Amino acid sequence: MLSINNLQASVEGKEILKGINLTVNPGEVHAIMGPNGSGKSTLASVLAGRADYEITGGEVLFEDKDLLEMSPEERSHEGVFLAFQYPVEIPGVSTANFLKTALNEVRKHRGEEQLDAMDFLKLMKEKAKLMDIELSFLQRSLNEGFSGGEKKRNEIFQMAMLNPKLSILDETDSGLDIDALKIVSNGVNSLRSENNATILITHYQRLLDYIIPDFVHVLYKGKIVKSGGKELALELEARGYDWVKDEVGE
Amino acid sequence: MTDTLELKQRLLAEFSTREQLLNGSRETPLHILRQDAMNRFDELGFPTIRHEEWKYANIMPALLIPFSSAQPSNLTSDEVCNFYLEGIEANILVFVNGYFAPEHSKFISSEVMMSNFEASLKTPIENSRFAKISGYKNESFTALNTALSNDGAWISIPDGVILTNPIHILMITDSREYSPILHPRHTIHCGDRSEATIIYSSHTIGENSGFTNSVSEISVGQNAKLHQYIIQNDSDLSYAVNSSYVHQERNSTYSVVTVSLSGKFVRNNHTSKLAGENSVANFYGLVIGGSKQLIDNHTLADHSVPHCQSNELYKYILDDRSTGVFNGKIIVRPDAQKTNAYQSNKTILLSDTATINTKPQLEIFADDVKCSHGATSGQLDEESLFYLRSRGIPADKARALLLHAFASDVLNHIAIAPLRDSLDKSIATRLHDESEIALLVE
Repeated sequence: MLSINNLQASVEGKEILKGINLTVNPGEVHAIMGPNGSGKSTLASVLAGRADYEITGGEVLFEDKDLLEMSPEERSHEGVFLAFQYPVEIPGVSTANFLKTALNEVRKHRGEEQLDAMDFLKLMKEKAKLMDIELSFLQRSLNEGFSGGEKKRNEIFQMAMLNPKLSILDETDSGLDIDALKIVSNGVNSLRSENNATILITHYQRLLDYIIPDFVHVLYKGKIVKSGGKELALELEARGYDWVKDEVGE
Repeated sequence: MTDTLELKQRLLAEFSTREQLLNGSRETPLHILRQDAMNRFDELGFPTIRHEEWKYANIMPALLIPFSSAQPSNLTSDEVCNFYLEGIEANILVFVNGYFAPEHSKFISSEVMMSNFEASLKTPIENSRFAKISGYKNESFTALNTALSNDGAWISIPDGVILTNPIHILMITDSREYSPILHPRHTIHCGDRSEATIIYSSHTIGENSGFTNSVSEISVGQNAKLHQYIIQNDSDLSYAVNSSYVHQERNSTYSVVTVSLSGKFVRNNHTSKLAGENSVANFYGLVIGGSKQLIDNHTLADHSVPHCQSNELYKYILDDRSTGVFNGKIIVRPDAQKTNAYQSNKTILLSDTATINTKPQLEIFADDVKCSHGATSGQLDEESLFYLRSRGIPADKARALLLHAFASDVLNHIAIAPLRDSLDKSIATRLHDESEIALLVE
């Protein structure tokens, strides 16, 4: 599904990603862990198409298409979804309003019929229930005045609505209390299928108690320096990142 | 320079001509007042950009246009009804080229006195409200209007009357055959404990330029509430200077939302004198500017007594080579303790050639007051744009959605839903936002 080959990216002339290789197949959950500043969020941003980064080398293929050539909206249409680490607040735009526009754009691209207000409402009710979100909440300005937990729930709600093939969750666990973490994890788990894949970007192992990854990768200084199964996360939790740094020889 | 003086000379000549027609009534107090105003206009002349208050609003190019005094024009019902507000049961006062058009007007609220300025002048000047609130000593356009105005809306809401149906003052300029210049004069009085909503919209029919120099004198009595919605929708060849003078008594509320959608040159002077304690003035404005438009909002909240409040929020969306000006003056006089005055001007510039000139002007002579002002200008927020795009919304639609949202918190101050919705729609169209405006849940 996703094939990242020797991806290099820099921001303002500073090289952040120094040759990432990663392959994600349908049905898989990959966790990308690493200390602060290792390039985790840059990877998420580059995959979603944020303009601040310059791609200096390598390629990213999504279902055999060149992902890096696509605009952010085209990536979304193809089925890539980024759950933001810091979801933006947009006063004056309700979640429901913008999401209806978004969903119909995605459906148009997929050759599906536009959803009318009734069908949209029905779908929204179903997904809101999954994320334990009140419908009135979705009529409010997008993320404006929402707590950290509400914003993250809203991200996964949007993911449920858009039904992407590849979801990238950028530090979705940060700022969540244990109840919110459970709701978010349940949401992600219930959306898992053999046709879609998830990349979890996280600093802590805690999230992985609830969303069990198939693979764990350690990103350090812009490179994946270690990969393993879910037990690698536990080892990182127990021993910290220093031993990985030692192993890499720094 | 001689060219720009020509219009002034023509206006002075027009005044003399009218004077000659007055015969016996030249010595009336009204005419003496008008004469004084005309002399003042003669002394002041049209303001140039050397005038601090007109620094960014260059009226000189307009003076080269061969404007001539507006004449009454007969419009058909079909031509007028385009401008009626849909879904609103309103009293309608129609003015064509500044002249009252009773055949197109409609009165449904019998408890209110509504007529036109010309009719009101039959009352002796001492008893009329003419030039009681507006000063013309330093404002050449107001002086000119005071001298030459011959019609406009005259509205009086009696004490205690709560008006359920709004009043729509509909101004149509017919510039099909020539370039008219007109000086409408509006007088609005809200009696004690009364409440009313007045919608004021201006439009143009025709391809020539037009010049509207309007003055409104508004008094809001004790415990009275006046809501005013001004929709500026003149053609892109039209010039307008609108001066509004409000006098507020104790416990009164005056709120105005000005939506400027078009017009080549639009200058709004909005002055509210908070003369009675506990009065509140709210000024809200939305400007959608494009091409080479200039839209200039000058506001003055004049706090004379304690415990009053003024709120101002002006938002501008400027594209192409358009220019926006916001000058918000707040005066807190020595007695006006416990004043709360807030002011905010926010602008989104959509092109490198659009400009905003914003200037807060606070003159505070009391010590126990809360005053704040803020101005922001910039492009659309890139992070918000990226967020929407990452959800599949194409860049142009995302931009339109964000602009529309930016405009919405001014429009939300319009309490008449059909008016707000229709403005919302026309703004959405202007901004190319095709997304669903609202989605009601249950």
